[in-house]
Amino acid sequence: MVLTALCSGWPARGYGGMLSDTWSRFDRVASIFDPVGTYVSQPIEKTIPALTFKGFFRQWSDINLHRNQKVGFRNKDFRFLQLQNLLEIELHYQFTDNLELTNINHFLYDGVYNWQDSGGLFAPRFSETARHYHNFERIVRELNLSYRTHSFDIVIGKQQIAWGKMDGRFIDMINPMDVRESVQLEASDFEYRRLPTWMANATYFFGAHSLQLLYIPNFEQERLPTVGSPWFPPSVPPLDAIVKKRKRPSAGDFGDHEYGARLDISMDPLTWGLIYFYAWNDNPTFFITGADRSDGTVTPILTPRHTRLHHLGVTADYATAFSGVPLVGDLPVVVRIEGLYSFGVKFADARRQLAALAGGDSGGQASRDTLRAAIALEFALPGNTSFIVQPSLFTTFGWRKSIVSSGFGGATASNEWNLLPVVFVEHPFRFTRDRLRASITVFPFLGAPGRHYEGTKSKLVVSYKFSRFITGRLIYTTYDGGGRDSTFGQYDKWDNIGWEVSYEF
Amino acid sequence: MSFDRSHQGSRGKLQLDSALTTRWSGSVGVLVLGAVMWGQVLLGAGWAEAERTWKSVQELSAEELRAVDLRTETPRDATFPYLPAERYPFSPPYTAEEMGYRAMEFSHFARWSHALGTAAGSITPSGHLFTENNLDSFCYLPTEGLSGQLYDTAPGTPYLKLLSQGVFPPERYSNQSLFVLYRTDDKAMGETDLFVYTHALRRVRRQPPIRRQDYYARTAMRFDDILVQNAWEYVWKLLGTDILFTTVRFPVTRQTITLADLDGTFRERAVTELKLMGEAYPAYTADGGVACYVVEAVPRPEWRRASHLSRLIYWLDRQTFFPLRIESYGRQGSLMFVEVRTARLLNPQLGERGYAAHIFVFWDVERDFLSYDVHDTYQYHSWSALDKTVFFTPDFMRRRWFLGPPRSQAGVPSAAEFYLRPALDPGKFSHERMIRLPAEVAARVEAQETVGHLVF
Repeated sequence: MVLTALCSGWPARGYGGMLSDTWSRFDRVASIFDPVGTYVSQPIEKTIPALTFKGFFRQWSDINLHRNQKVGFRNKDFRFLQLQNLLEIELHYQFTDNLELTNINHFLYDGVYNWQDSGGLFAPRFSETARHYHNFERIVRELNLSYRTHSFDIVIGKQQIAWGKMDGRFIDMINPMDVRESVQLEASDFEYRRLPTWMANATYFFGAHSLQLLYIPNFEQERLPTVGSPWFPPSVPPLDAIVKKRKRPSAGDFGDHEYGARLDISMDPLTWGLIYFYAWNDNPTFFITGADRSDGTVTPILTPRHTRLHHLGVTADYATAFSGVPLVGDLPVVVRIEGLYSFGVKFADARRQLAALAGGDSGGQASRDTLRAAIALEFALPGNTSFIVQPSLFTTFGWRKSIVSSGFGGATASNEWNLLPVVFVEHPFRFTRDRLRASITVFPFLGAPGRHYEGTKSKLVVSYKFSRFITGRLIYTTYDGGGRDSTFGQYDKWDNIGWEVSYEF
Repeated sequence: MSFDRSHQGSRGKLQLDSALTTRWSGSVGVLVLGAVMWGQVLLGAGWAEAERTWKSVQELSAEELRAVDLRTETPRDATFPYLPAERYPFSPPYTAEEMGYRAMEFSHFARWSHALGTAAGSITPSGHLFTENNLDSFCYLPTEGLSGQLYDTAPGTPYLKLLSQGVFPPERYSNQSLFVLYRTDDKAMGETDLFVYTHALRRVRRQPPIRRQDYYARTAMRFDDILVQNAWEYVWKLLGTDILFTTVRFPVTRQTITLADLDGTFRERAVTELKLMGEAYPAYTADGGVACYVVEAVPRPEWRRASHLSRLIYWLDRQTFFPLRIESYGRQGSLMFVEVRTARLLNPQLGERGYAAHIFVFWDVERDFLSYDVHDTYQYHSWSALDKTVFFTPDFMRRRWFLGPPRSQAGVPSAAEFYLRPALDPGKFSHERMIRLPAEVAARVEAQETVGHLVF
């Protein structure tokens, strides 16, 4: 891809050369290569004018750069971290100007379990979804009917909602995620990794403002990396406990439903909003509900249960420009702020765990409030270069040393707070007519008072637009520093290089 | 703008000496196209001295001089000291500065509320084609026309909101942007607010205010070329007059274009039918040309700190002051960008100020990067108060509600059918126009003029 990018700049300098002529011919053909658009989408849309037919095919592959070895509690005997192929078909049928039916379907196959010889990858034994989407729930991602008037929208059906203005998940928590890539899940993948749920979504627009109300009878839990999948954490030891069946909220019980509200206010040059979400924790809490002493040892009996959470959030952005900045002259900047305060999050507490094993009724958990928040400063540098600094804070209020787990919105285990001062730079290259772009993102992960440094993730991305329809990306990701059981540090042997090719039609 | 095949007459005449080209390109990297060679171009293209169409100010007749006011210093407006004291749209005779303000009436977008289906695209020197289609809705906040911006809009407040909704290619479907343009002056400097909705992120995000000299992604244009054109930022000077016969040029490989009539009907038109100022224009010359004033605009340092420009040269239709050709010269003084346009009368109620641009071709000369933009399907709108507050706010974009007229069919289907680079006509006002082309660009220009289409 890099060679391709360089070639794309070549003709401007080497007009008439054999290489540039060959490249030029290829480039012209590639620029109009759209077989699905030509032979499928356009004929369908001509036959059924009210129907919009579109989609994409995307191939993601990541290769681990380290030799096979034992890492933590895992036998890392695989090199491909993903060989995913995803076909999306998106359909919109317009019944009237106001009424529209939307259907989005995903067909996914990940070749890592079949295309390499590995004993450490066995996730399909527990969940076939890790290998391919095979059921209605995963294939039919969105199916909803929308009705709109000037000042009112209502969407009923399976859908996904993205709240917030920032990269990362701060107030974006209406839908759970499929977090199969664990720490390598990026904001750009949220669209495909959110798990849509059945809900009613109504928005009233008044002036430049809006009020959105959500009613969600259908609960979905977050999907963490399955045991035996490439990104299952190597720091997690085999579970020495008896785990009972997870109790999940019921769609048939009104008391189990979720409710949300979002208010957006536009007051130039500031826009801001407030959110409230009465929700379930998408990840179950493992309550100690007993102990098995049958063989002379004490084996905890765990009952996974989702707990109720109240979330209050705020989001805002503001734009301005600084004049007379050395080297760059005028410096336009946007400031974005986002924060989510969550009440009553459950954390495993060592003292209470002992009490629970002795027959106490706390379940081994303590309730704490948490805050996750970020401020992003985005600078527009010359040459369409973006520079973003985004410190993100995760805090557990009322933290104490006996807290031994992380919890929604709070700090990691053993820490009261974590700070991620993320830095991002992106630049398009004009000599390729902006077809080539490069970006680098650095995620240092700090904390206190326990683990002060949880490692740094760094990502270099080079993307190239082969045409209006085809985009390729090369991605190099490293995980450095931190301890063997820290968030990034445990993936020290997961440095990888990947490519993505996407064809949209 | 009828397609002028006169360039075919240069076939066989405009032949660069390849040895000369090689030697020059090898030694200095650029080829300064000399007057002798361009004389050949001119002769081949029918611009012989006998048919010379341009005149310097010194060559204007007494009658022509009566229509212009050559003063460079005129009384100032009491409220806005950077504006002329005489109120827009002025009366003849016109100073060059007043012509600049009249030209400002015809920015990239018409100065009234409307919606457009646009077809746009770019082509690289290797022939790689990008195209896109958008539905653009404009909410012009003050009274229609430039006077609404100049006199009815307080500096620091918005005068135009533009909602642009992507419909093609598929990756841009539902991607949207909302531009808010502000009336500026020496105290209120913020020109734009920009919000972007990216469907892949499902988020509306405010963007940093634009840097005027930065390029629109994957196009030949800078934001400065299409979003912000304030006449008070320049010193204006009349260079002379000219008659234009072509601006936008179609290749020999493209005989027709599908354009929408004002009633929304799509009609395939022979490219030879199309005229520079449209059908309703009353002032074509006997041989179908458009008489123009040629004016120079030099950035004022107090307004344009560190401008990337040394000057602009406009060809303004003498009837309406519509800019049919705009050339930008870089800091070193040489030509770096050309914009050519055609126009049509869209809002007859505004009289001669009711013209709007129809087809644009942009050429980034140094990078030899070409772009086009067709403002095709058109609907006049008088947005209600409810429309203004509902449609032209950032959160509206989340609704994915397409407002515009039908999608344009006027896109370029293949590289071979792309518009020609604008003619250079280096003999015109040669003292003011320094044209230096890199050798490979000059070779491509020559090849284009020889065969009548882009050569890669």
